[in-house]
Amino acid sequence: MKINVNGEEREVDVPEDVPVLWVLRDELGLKGTKFSCGKALCGACTVHVDGKARRSCVLPAGAVAGKRIDTIEGLADGDRLHVVQRAWIEHNVAQCGYCQSGQIMSAVALLEATPDPTDDQIDSAMSANLCRCGTYPRIRAAIKRAAALMAAEGDK
Amino acid sequence: MKKNDTSQTSRREFLKVSALASGALVVGVSFTGCANPQAKLMESVAEERGAFAPNAYLTIEPNGEIIYTLDKAEMGQGVMTSHAMMVAEELEVDLERLTVLHAGADPRFGAMQVTGGSNSVRTSFIPLRTAAATAREMLVAAAAARWGVAASSCTVENGVVLHPTGKKATYAELAMDAARQPIPKEPRLKKPSEFKIIGKPKGRVDATQKSTGTAVFGMDVEIPGMLRAWILHPPSPGGRAVSIDAEEARAMAGVVDIFVFERGVAVVAEKTWQARRAAGVVEIEWEAGKLAGFDSEALRLAMEARSFEPGSAVRVEGDVSAALAREDVTVIEATYEAPFLAHATMEPQNCVAWYKGDEIELWAPTQSSTIIQSVAQQLTKLPKERVIVHTTLMGGGFGRRASHDFPAEAVMISMKLKKPVQIIWSREEDMRTDYFRPQALAHFEAAIDEDGKVAGVSAHVITQSIIGQSDWFGTVFPHWIPDVTRTMLSRTALGLFNTGTVTDPTSTEGLSEMPYAFETTRVEYSQLNVPVPVGFWRSVGHSFNGFFAEGFVDELANAAEKDPFEFRKELLGSTHPRELAVLEEAARRANWGTPTPEGVGRGIAVHHSFASYCAQVVDVRIVDGKIEVERVVCAFDCGMVINPDIVKAQMEGAINFGLSAALLQEITFVDGLPQQSNFDDFPLLRMNEAPEIEVYIIESSAAPTGAGEPGLPPVAPALANAIHDAVGVRLRRMPMQAALTEALADRGGAQ
Repeated sequence: MKINVNGEEREVDVPEDVPVLWVLRDELGLKGTKFSCGKALCGACTVHVDGKARRSCVLPAGAVAGKRIDTIEGLADGDRLHVVQRAWIEHNVAQCGYCQSGQIMSAVALLEATPDPTDDQIDSAMSANLCRCGTYPRIRAAIKRAAALMAAEGDK
Repeated sequence: MKKNDTSQTSRREFLKVSALASGALVVGVSFTGCANPQAKLMESVAEERGAFAPNAYLTIEPNGEIIYTLDKAEMGQGVMTSHAMMVAEELEVDLERLTVLHAGADPRFGAMQVTGGSNSVRTSFIPLRTAAATAREMLVAAAAARWGVAASSCTVENGVVLHPTGKKATYAELAMDAARQPIPKEPRLKKPSEFKIIGKPKGRVDATQKSTGTAVFGMDVEIPGMLRAWILHPPSPGGRAVSIDAEEARAMAGVVDIFVFERGVAVVAEKTWQARRAAGVVEIEWEAGKLAGFDSEALRLAMEARSFEPGSAVRVEGDVSAALAREDVTVIEATYEAPFLAHATMEPQNCVAWYKGDEIELWAPTQSSTIIQSVAQQLTKLPKERVIVHTTLMGGGFGRRASHDFPAEAVMISMKLKKPVQIIWSREEDMRTDYFRPQALAHFEAAIDEDGKVAGVSAHVITQSIIGQSDWFGTVFPHWIPDVTRTMLSRTALGLFNTGTVTDPTSTEGLSEMPYAFETTRVEYSQLNVPVPVGFWRSVGHSFNGFFAEGFVDELANAAEKDPFEFRKELLGSTHPRELAVLEEAARRANWGTPTPEGVGRGIAVHHSFASYCAQVVDVRIVDGKIEVERVVCAFDCGMVINPDIVKAQMEGAINFGLSAALLQEITFVDGLPQQSNFDDFPLLRMNEAPEIEVYIIESSAAPTGAGEPGLPPVAPALANAIHDAVGVRLRRMPMQAALTEALADRGGAQ
């Protein structure tokens, strides 16, 4: 089947019920998207499907045919990191880092829909992304910083 | 930072460095003298390729690249950054100049290359800086010799040696000559007043790779031709697979092999999704093993019953029994409890092994590279130098990855298939096949006189020992490890914890050293032998004893009708100035003593662990029976700080990790089966539940001490104390949300 990943058409030969997570990791070698709970309970596998944050560990490949998937690998524009990634680095958000691809993908989706989110809006967009290292205060601060950078730069 | 790549692509580079630097170098810096093999090795490296490798940590390449080989493992705690900062400081280069690589198991770094116990900075502060200062002095000496000037007249700026006459040379240009300089006996370390990097809030050197999806965790290792093995473990720890029906699974696409082995069942396929899919249709008959019939609830009752019998005394000061029998005292009693806990690292356990007959290579997300090297050696019977262990980044450690069960599986399966194999556990396997934080219970009795003075405190903690239990090495070092090795490893492990007695210090730590000047004190310990595999979990015994001790001390303050902060302050007196300082700082920053907003309860706790001191004040609100932690104010003293931002991050992390356990988590067993298996029934704190956290670091010139763990123990008792302040309910059992719900229901029923 054909799927579009980070703007590229890719041909993959998998049964339709294989989760997108494993298509990305096993078939396309895109390992930035992580396996953790396998049941859409933690958000480590978050990708965008047509711009919306989705849990790739339970999303069948057949359901994304003809849709656009974006992963952490596709966020940067060449050497220029996405504003959310820059805010993440500036705030030293990551500890172990394993959940952070998913956190960043959720944050990007939030900011695309809500460029200047309130604390409640951050909570509701981010509360299904778990972090065992407890980096939540920095995730919140980095999202606010990214929002401010976006407003200042008129970029994302 | 140019790159801090621990990935496959850097492997060649790494091997090149280790091969060149391999040989007989002793760890660190005790390598002076003409008979020193390092001197010869250094010369040969220089002759071969013009690089300067003065010790195991450092190589300066002729192209200017400076490679720092980290002998600890990065699992989120920031060791890659803090250690690189120490090196950059003494080497006199910008932090960004260093390329940091994980060492893997390497004899040059000693026989016990273990990352844990919040030890990394405290054990490396002097040796690592000395290693870098050695390099700097030799580079300066090379420049001075070249220019015919005194070394003392040269200065260094970011890897360039300068002379007032205008002469200058880069480290790369000096590398060859430096390698021919004598190794200085006592290189001069900078004074703290000269530090330019240490003590500054530098960005993490792994921040970019961890924000771009390029960081390579164990799960992301890719070896050409590598197979994937999905591992199915006995649902009851210690059980075994009796038989399997895998006919349907074997016929599925990509499946290579399915077999029973010592640890369970391996479903091997070309791709992960194929292995996972096939694993779903394998039918397995399990035998329960020695946990059959085990209930954690029954263990609670057994612990409680045991608490009324005498235990082994680990601390006796004065006659507590006499104090409790006095007629002029009020005696208060309390029983505190903590459940089994899983580590639940975000990255489930996994490992890659490649058995090649005469050699084995492992790529392991491990805290214990040399221990897994020994285990692989035992299993393969290969000489140690043929067992190559590469340490990868870890998606969390917290003590889980100090165990070596998962690398052992990779070794066994690769030996059978003679191919590179990655073993992967599902979340459910990971949660049920853990070395759990032990369940524990403590019974307290205290005597308080009419003036509110504490005449005596008796504490008796009952738990399952991690180190001392008779069958610890039957779990952590399972049955395939020969007895002689177990005994050897057991002695080494006990030696690490500095104990000469049978008492497991990890069972009593945090309780036996309560810092308060009670008139009499007795701490006892009883060990229950339970066949549940237990292991090190962030802050180990402190994770429950901190809760027990500081919860009960709050009860004493209540009974004495004193302010909990003033009460502690008085009892700390002048003998525990560092506890007192963090306690006062946390209280001051949290405006202790001023009225809290309507409905907000405030609690305080202080705890000393891993040679550091931490006090926290928690503000909590109970909304419709739900515990909402609003704010945690944390004061912390870990001596001299390498990177205040990383220390702050460790406090934030430990507080949220500790709150997850304090509020929500438990592993229970029914008939030997762990009842929880994923984040729905073993919840982690979420973004919307995480409090505002303020961290205040005490300025100190004392030697640096632990930071990864000491932020955890105070949060549970400070929370329990805050809940008591808010609603008058004293919670003595974790997880507290369930305990509060039960207590409020009881109170409601009683009304």
